[in-house]
Amino acid sequence: MVELIINGKEILAKPGQTIMEAALANNIDIPRLCFHPELMVSGGCRLCIVDVQGRPNPTPSCGLACENGMVIETHNSKLFDLRRDILDLFISDHPLNCVTCEKSGACQLQKYAYEHDIHKTSYEFKISKPIYQDDNPFFIRDHQYCILCGRCVRVCDEIVGASAIDFARRGFESYIATPFDDAMVDSTCVFCGNCIQVCPTAALMPVSRKGKGREWELDRVKTICGYCGVGCQIEYAIRNGNIIYAQSSPDAPVNGEFLCTKGRFGWDFSTSPDRLTTPLVRRDLAFELGLTSEAWQLPLDSPLAIRNPKVEESFIPVDWETAFEVVSEKLASTVKLYGPDSVMGLASARCTNEDNYLFQKFMRVGIGTNNIDHCARL
Amino acid sequence: MNSQNLEEIGKKENNRQKQYKRRIFCCTSTACLSAGAGQTFSTVNQSVSACKCAENEAEVVQTGCMGLCSRGPMVRVDYRDGESTLYGNVSPEIAQLIIAHHLPIEGKDSEIERSSGDVASPHDMLHFRASLREARGKKGLEKYIIPTDLPFYSKQVKVVLNEIGQINPNKIEDYLAHGGYKALTYVLENLTPEEICDEILHSGLRGRGGAGYPTGQKWHFVRQEDSRPKFVIVNGDEGDPGAYMDRTVMEDNPHRVLEGMIICAYAVGATNGYLYIRGEYPIAIDRVKNAILAARRHRILGNSVLGTDFSFNAEVRIGAGAFVCGEETALINSVEGKRGMPRIRPPYPSKSGLWKAPTVINNVETMANIPSIINRGASWFASIGTEKSKGTKVFALAGQLRNTGLIEVPIGITLRDIVFEIGGGIPGDRDFKAAQTGGPSGGCIPSEFLDSPVDYESLTRLGSIMGSGGLVIIDDSTGMPGFARFFMDFCMDESCGKCVPCRIGTVQIRSLLDKIISGKGVAEDLVKLENLCKLVKNTSLCGLGQSAPNPVLSTLRYFNHEYQAIVQPSLPVSSGND
Amino acid sequence: MTANKLASDMMNGHQSGDERFSVIDRTMKRFKYEKDSLLEVLNSAQETFGYLSKDLLFYISNQLQVPMSRVYGVATFYHMFTFVPLGEHNCIICKGTACHVKGADRIINAISEEFCVNAGETTSDNLLSLNIARCLGSCGLAPVVVLDGEVSGKQTPEAVTNRIREIISISKEINAEKVEAG
Repeated sequence: MVELIINGKEILAKPGQTIMEAALANNIDIPRLCFHPELMVSGGCRLCIVDVQGRPNPTPSCGLACENGMVIETHNSKLFDLRRDILDLFISDHPLNCVTCEKSGACQLQKYAYEHDIHKTSYEFKISKPIYQDDNPFFIRDHQYCILCGRCVRVCDEIVGASAIDFARRGFESYIATPFDDAMVDSTCVFCGNCIQVCPTAALMPVSRKGKGREWELDRVKTICGYCGVGCQIEYAIRNGNIIYAQSSPDAPVNGEFLCTKGRFGWDFSTSPDRLTTPLVRRDLAFELGLTSEAWQLPLDSPLAIRNPKVEESFIPVDWETAFEVVSEKLASTVKLYGPDSVMGLASARCTNEDNYLFQKFMRVGIGTNNIDHCARL
Repeated sequence: MNSQNLEEIGKKENNRQKQYKRRIFCCTSTACLSAGAGQTFSTVNQSVSACKCAENEAEVVQTGCMGLCSRGPMVRVDYRDGESTLYGNVSPEIAQLIIAHHLPIEGKDSEIERSSGDVASPHDMLHFRASLREARGKKGLEKYIIPTDLPFYSKQVKVVLNEIGQINPNKIEDYLAHGGYKALTYVLENLTPEEICDEILHSGLRGRGGAGYPTGQKWHFVRQEDSRPKFVIVNGDEGDPGAYMDRTVMEDNPHRVLEGMIICAYAVGATNGYLYIRGEYPIAIDRVKNAILAARRHRILGNSVLGTDFSFNAEVRIGAGAFVCGEETALINSVEGKRGMPRIRPPYPSKSGLWKAPTVINNVETMANIPSIINRGASWFASIGTEKSKGTKVFALAGQLRNTGLIEVPIGITLRDIVFEIGGGIPGDRDFKAAQTGGPSGGCIPSEFLDSPVDYESLTRLGSIMGSGGLVIIDDSTGMPGFARFFMDFCMDESCGKCVPCRIGTVQIRSLLDKIISGKGVAEDLVKLENLCKLVKNTSLCGLGQSAPNPVLSTLRYFNHEYQAIVQPSLPVSSGND
Repeated sequence: MTANKLASDMMNGHQSGDERFSVIDRTMKRFKYEKDSLLEVLNSAQETFGYLSKDLLFYISNQLQVPMSRVYGVATFYHMFTFVPLGEHNCIICKGTACHVKGADRIINAISEEFCVNAGETTSDNLLSLNIARCLGSCGLAPVVVLDGEVSGKQTPEAVTNRIREIISISKEINAEKVEAG
């Protein structure tokens, strides 16, 4: 272990850890915009500078390895002023639309501007890249809020491996681009949304977010994704029973804050009007069982089942007791007449893992067949 | 091929050269080429052939920079007995006259030799020279002659530029004839890597790219690293506008740079080296590539350098128009095929550089000093210069000056000597206003400091830097705020964009300067400007941002009155009840 | 892309059959198709083709197996790479310190005004491109202008605009003849 002193406190750091990592592990919050614990170090935001005894100038803590005997100060009035001045430059190129911006409350730039008591720039306001890109159904790229921290590029390269975006041009004209500014759908983007996850400002926002409420108006619910066997933790932001967006958090077991496109965006089925809310019995069976007096027949041009069923036309709602009766009677008679393997169970990724476990148990033990499959495997 | 073979080749070339009564040197460095040296060179060749004289009467040699670039194209006629005449502004017509004057025609003696008969006694020699001058005067050639006792030449001390203008850069034999690669053979046969690093350390050589870091120290750091492989990079990305020292050395004596590089590789334990040359220098790229090929053929590069078990391979890597790639870590990223954005330091390149391996990065001029230090000793080098800044420095002297061109002077020479002795003073009836050193990373030195020594510490104290060697003289017709804005324009354009202080700070500085220069500024803007400059200087990630505000800060310091004259007084603060 | 397809691509050159691609192929081969050689390959491509088209960059991205985003990011970083073809004539004005001090701006303004073109652009009739260089290293001969590859020192606004006028009118004549003949 490496022994050093940060803000007068004795800290033990693992060999190879940087000052930033050691500080964060000890609940010392060094201001940072481009640093991310899962990504390679950039060093571009200059906010994480700390005073190191023996060095004349403040040094960025994200890249400095801990050494025995180091004496570090992460916060003092000189560093406060320097950080404040750097933030002043940041906001000279960033519209202060916090009043209506949906990132308000979760925006890192806003957080540090508040902590350093800076509410407007003392320089001429100059937007470097007034580009607005709304070219895909999943997220919006509003470059006027982009602070070029590069986290999106790094996550796409290092974690996802899609390398869909990179810095283009240089200097004040730099911006984050797809090759030749092609639409996102024409790039190698896999729409996992991890860039949105790591973006500290409103530059990258889910389409579903727009106009749906402020950060503090949303409830958070943690759950497990049902789409595949990894079982990532998802945290849904919910308002009035509707999911607004999905994210995760760094302390989530299995996936940390990263999700795939299904987990991140594949939740709109939950509020789809096509979702069933009561058990339904097909009209011809219902007539046969005497549950309805209206006769009905399968349309002749439908081969196997009903194509694009108009549910109200082809099914009648029943209560749960009736449903249990119908299903258990019909299944029992089918098994008796044709054997257990004449029945097949088809589960869904959109059920919970627990439900799917029960279902396959029912099929194997209750019905007595191994004919069970799941939509995610197909 | 071993050291003895090389020596023999050198001797053979020497003897070959001595057979010629006259050797006519034509500068074909880029500056002279842009003044028409290409046609001059062809005309000289044609005129010499047209003379139809015996073969040993004259050799035409394509050579490099002869220093006084503003008088290009330059031609020099060297006689075997030592007499030498330097001509400037040599157009093809003047070239014909020069050849006619110096060469015998169709087997007959030249005009001079005809009239003087057999030259034997010293008295005859005097008479001979006098009639030579008279004949030149008659032909009007007198005004093209550049006397070599001009202070422009006499005040210089040539180390790095020693062979330039004397050798054909395309012929390794010529370099060998002038003592080339003797230092390399010496170190391979006599010194350990540690001893070499010590020698360079004791010489006091400091990085000539601008930062001035002790070269020997850097070499020691890399030598001491255990990991393999290790690399040597020569930084030829001379991006300072107005600087062309490195270009000249790469074009006109590439072998000297190679020799320094190979010695460095041996000293630190590197197996591969890269010469990173900016894309805007196509001639330098070609000449260095050819030099590498020639070195390989002579086993100076390759798997067994000069028959020893030391292996070293070098290749050229080309830049593509980014000043920031002169910064070490940005250069490394560029060689790795990435955007030239700098990395934060630590870790330093000596520990983790090219492909995360220990890497030495030295400027072209730094490398070119190495052979001389080995050949003549660290103490010799340390005897030139000042206490903390040893050796010579090559400067590209430009601007509003009589004599502009490439010079090499002992560090510590006064600015006054450079401007008025070497530079010949300000032309016309204008006055010296300031000397700008260090290009866009440096500052302006006003006339009250003309007697300051030009060395690393003094220049830093005065608010400038030594820089890579660009030295621009400006007269009183130049406005300083506009001059500072020119440099800020450049830095803004060249900023890589990675860090906020440089990316946004340079734009805001430029914006403030625009406001001030257009007459819309107030006194407060000057305070804001200075504070912003200090912020950018103290918090930028790399040298570009850290030194970009220097021209502004230095003009604010020394020419504050020019800024004050164009700002409005600050508006009075209201009492609050209006 | 499967390994087999990649291998056959490398052997057959670019599908267009354009011979110039073989120059790029040779450069890539010399560097053993290593990803790090991207800058060298782009340099070679710029020199051979005069500009970097989308097709060309995709080809390089595929051959070197470097993500297209990185190829584009590197290409747009360096000023020597261009993405549109240059005009028939190319005029480069040096904006080094010495040239600036000796009035390079006046030359640039004179050209911009007369030929309606800004630095970094090409005229609408494609006859003239105007570009800035950040020091060509001929400071003793400031101000320096390069017109169609020919370097000239000690230039004035009048001299430069005269020369450009001349070469453009010659081009216009030649182009008019071509139109008539064709």
